[in-house]
Amino acid sequence: MLEAEWEWVLSQAGFEDLRLGEQIDVFSGSKHESSAANFDTMGLTIYGRKPG
Amino acid sequence: MVSEVNPAAVDIDQLRDNVKSKYSDVATNPEEGFHFHTGRPLAAMLFYTAEDLEGLPESAIESFAGTGNPFSQGRLNPGESVVDVGSGAGFDSLQAARQVGPSGSIIGVDMTQAMLDKASAGAQAMGLTNTEFRLGYAEALPVDDASADVVISNGVINLTPDKMTPLKEIFRVLKPGGRIQIGDIIVHVEVPQSAKDDIDLWSG
Repeated sequence: MLEAEWEWVLSQAGFEDLRLGEQIDVFSGSKHESSAANFDTMGLTIYGRKPG
Repeated sequence: MVSEVNPAAVDIDQLRDNVKSKYSDVATNPEEGFHFHTGRPLAAMLFYTAEDLEGLPESAIESFAGTGNPFSQGRLNPGESVVDVGSGAGFDSLQAARQVGPSGSIIGVDMTQAMLDKASAGAQAMGLTNTEFRLGYAEALPVDDASADVVISNGVINLTPDKMTPLKEIFRVLKPGGRIQIGDIIVHVEVPQSAKDDIDLWSG
């Protein structure tokens, strides 16, 4: 998903205080590299909190 | 501005079978080589430290296939209850168990039996009594409502056709004020719906 899509689904699921962390090229050098590159795919981490 | 994210039009049972097959191979033949990185080289790419990996069974490390480091969003606190969605061979669960200590607890959920077997053996090898692994799907977690302080996951949500369903499940099992710390993937070029609907592109 795109960044905006992540933010949308997380918000719709009910999470707040969203934080997208550092993005890392986890497919570089793998067999998946070319197809991942087609969509500029990166690994990332996500933080969110359930209200309460 | 995104106004909706459409689920992929793939047969979920077929997708699950494909993913189970792929990750059973990662569990049983981790040296085989896959279309994604695995094991120690991947852990290093994601900035897991030597200290993080120290004492983990090699069986958990060799079958690691995540896309981020959930603990980069914060270490877990002693006594916390943790659910690991798509726990695989236990790479993150076993680290989480050490972070929360004996007063905390870990429930790992995975749909691939070969991974559950490895994870359970790893927990036993480490002498952990606060860690259990359950068979289940991200879309229907076998976990009580409002029971977790933290949900971790690593490279799993992207393998579900409707991202909203597992995220709502995670929300359900979290206590009020609980948090998610997950690794996953992000794209910077929009994936056409036709590609999302092509099941052959999902698990390589």
